[in-house]
Amino acid sequence: MSLSPTSDIVGASKKSGGLIGLLLVAVPVLLIGWMIIYPIIAAVITTLWLRNDAGAYVFSTQTYRFFFTDGYSLANLGLTLWTTVVCAIILLVVCLPIALYLRFATGRLAVYVQGLAIFPLFVPSIILSYAFIRVLGPNGMLDILLNAAHLPKIRSPYLTPWGPVIGLVWDHIPLTVLILMAGLGSVSDASIEAAKDVGAGPVTRLWYIILPRISNSILVAASFAVLGIFSAFTLPYVLGPAAPEMMGPFMQRTFRDLYDPPNAITQAVVSFGFCIVFGLFYVRSVVRNQRAR
Amino acid sequence: MAVLDIKGVSKFFGSAVRAVDDFDLTVGNGELVCLLGPSGSGKSTLLRMIGGFETPSAGSITIDGDEVIHLPPERRPTGMVFQSHALWTHMNVFKNLAFGLKLRRLPADEIRRKVEDVLKLVGLTGYGTRQTHQLSGGQQQRVALARSLVLEPKILLLDEPFASLDQHLRERLREEVRDIQQRMGITTLFVTHGQDEALSMADRIVVMRDGRIEQVAAPDMLYREPATPFVAGFIGTMNLIEGEVKGGKFVRASFSHPLPIADGPAIFAVRPEALAIAPATGEGAARIHRVTDYGTHGLVDLELPDGTRHKAMVSEARDWKAGQPVTLAPRAFAAYRDNAVAYRSSTAS
Repeated sequence: MSLSPTSDIVGASKKSGGLIGLLLVAVPVLLIGWMIIYPIIAAVITTLWLRNDAGAYVFSTQTYRFFFTDGYSLANLGLTLWTTVVCAIILLVVCLPIALYLRFATGRLAVYVQGLAIFPLFVPSIILSYAFIRVLGPNGMLDILLNAAHLPKIRSPYLTPWGPVIGLVWDHIPLTVLILMAGLGSVSDASIEAAKDVGAGPVTRLWYIILPRISNSILVAASFAVLGIFSAFTLPYVLGPAAPEMMGPFMQRTFRDLYDPPNAITQAVVSFGFCIVFGLFYVRSVVRNQRAR
Repeated sequence: MAVLDIKGVSKFFGSAVRAVDDFDLTVGNGELVCLLGPSGSGKSTLLRMIGGFETPSAGSITIDGDEVIHLPPERRPTGMVFQSHALWTHMNVFKNLAFGLKLRRLPADEIRRKVEDVLKLVGLTGYGTRQTHQLSGGQQQRVALARSLVLEPKILLLDEPFASLDQHLRERLREEVRDIQQRMGITTLFVTHGQDEALSMADRIVVMRDGRIEQVAAPDMLYREPATPFVAGFIGTMNLIEGEVKGGKFVRASFSHPLPIADGPAIFAVRPEALAIAPATGEGAARIHRVTDYGTHGLVDLELPDGTRHKAMVSEARDWKAGQPVTLAPRAFAAYRDNAVAYRSSTAS
């Protein structure tokens, strides 16, 4: 049986449509390959094939051995992990009530709260850093106000590990709130009311009905926070302590001030390793949750 | 078994919207009462106030004599079945049903027994381990019903529970729900905008309009003796002919009929099955616009000379043709004036 002319046209149209689709995705895929995948592979190779005294490239784990035996490098990694975990916990503790309020509240106040929660999205990190210094830094606005009230000065978090924590939390609030709100949007009013109807109080409803329904959103929010905070640079650089320091400023200083590209790249690969482990954990959890449903 | 007493309940949204206005109703032990009305008539708002999901602006709601108006939903002896099923999709059927029982801290054995009993009651034995998304729409609605019944509430509230189901399933489920309700003898309030549902299930029907009661009556009474033109038009099909009474005769265009009430405007109400038609030799009172054959009977669309349309039921559709002039002879009818019955013929349908 021969195909009719109409079938030929439909077939050709499908082929050209497929080609256009491929061309459309080709640009971002190539960019990812060029700007992300290639540098990762190049970084791993660069740190494992080092030039010896004779000028030849040989396989060596020397930079990694150095990183994992050097107390200062480990302290920096420890500080980065500590900052990431503390920020992620604080973000969830701060943003979940905000998202819950915005999901269930009605009226003008909710609109203002939403505006305030989203506002940090439009403030560049460097502006935020200097605002932080002017307010919470030594002799900042808070100190001036305390002094005016004849109260003692505060111990400023500026240049302590808490400096980047405060800045990073503030910086990540909008994205975290938006992700959690998107998750809460899928929790219907009727399912909450059904829980009330069978006798569940506010805490029970939150624990047994709402949180399980938004577990994926919590995971996404935590992942975005962890990945963003682990590789943060500006806020830890401006607000954080000089030593130990977070991985972002550490890499930059190793690369620029010490001019030690192999060790700077090794730090980047180690950081990437932690991020990819969390990324894989996130993907696995999401897939498992989806299968369970 | 319980008695629900609603007295003077009103619900205002802002100063302009009166969703429910000075509502009074008593629902007796084991009775099934349907709240019937068009969208926006306040029936769901009333149900939500009884369930505790809305706070009345005024009035009182008592269950077995106990005021419940200040109690939150979780402390009211009511069980609500929602239109959207509202099942918790992260829990399987057993966990959905056991959730409320666990909150009441019942022993595990008793929880299992109660859940199995209620699953049997709704015809879902063996479905406990199924995830809710593995169930059909009808099964999900049964789980929603079981979730309320397992807690043995004094009052069961059903908010358009079959609205999202197809016609066949809806008919089957309403019979099942009625059976279960009668077997358990549970006092039930059922919201619907489907008159078939109300007429086939309810002991009494409350017809609501703009937040107020139009009429409360048993289904057959509501059909035979509607108290207002709105109820007459809302329940079943009714020809409502607006006209004037002059000298003991109702007149509208070429249609006239004796009506022993004082002169003035009136609405003449006659059901299609009570309106006999006969071929006219001259112009006739009306002309046939369309004839629809339903197999068991025919429905004739009539057009009066002023363009208004009415319906008459005939036994044989093929006996009638579009364009044919006919005379009209109401066998049973009622007349309304000032939103109340002014006259009802002795054999009024």
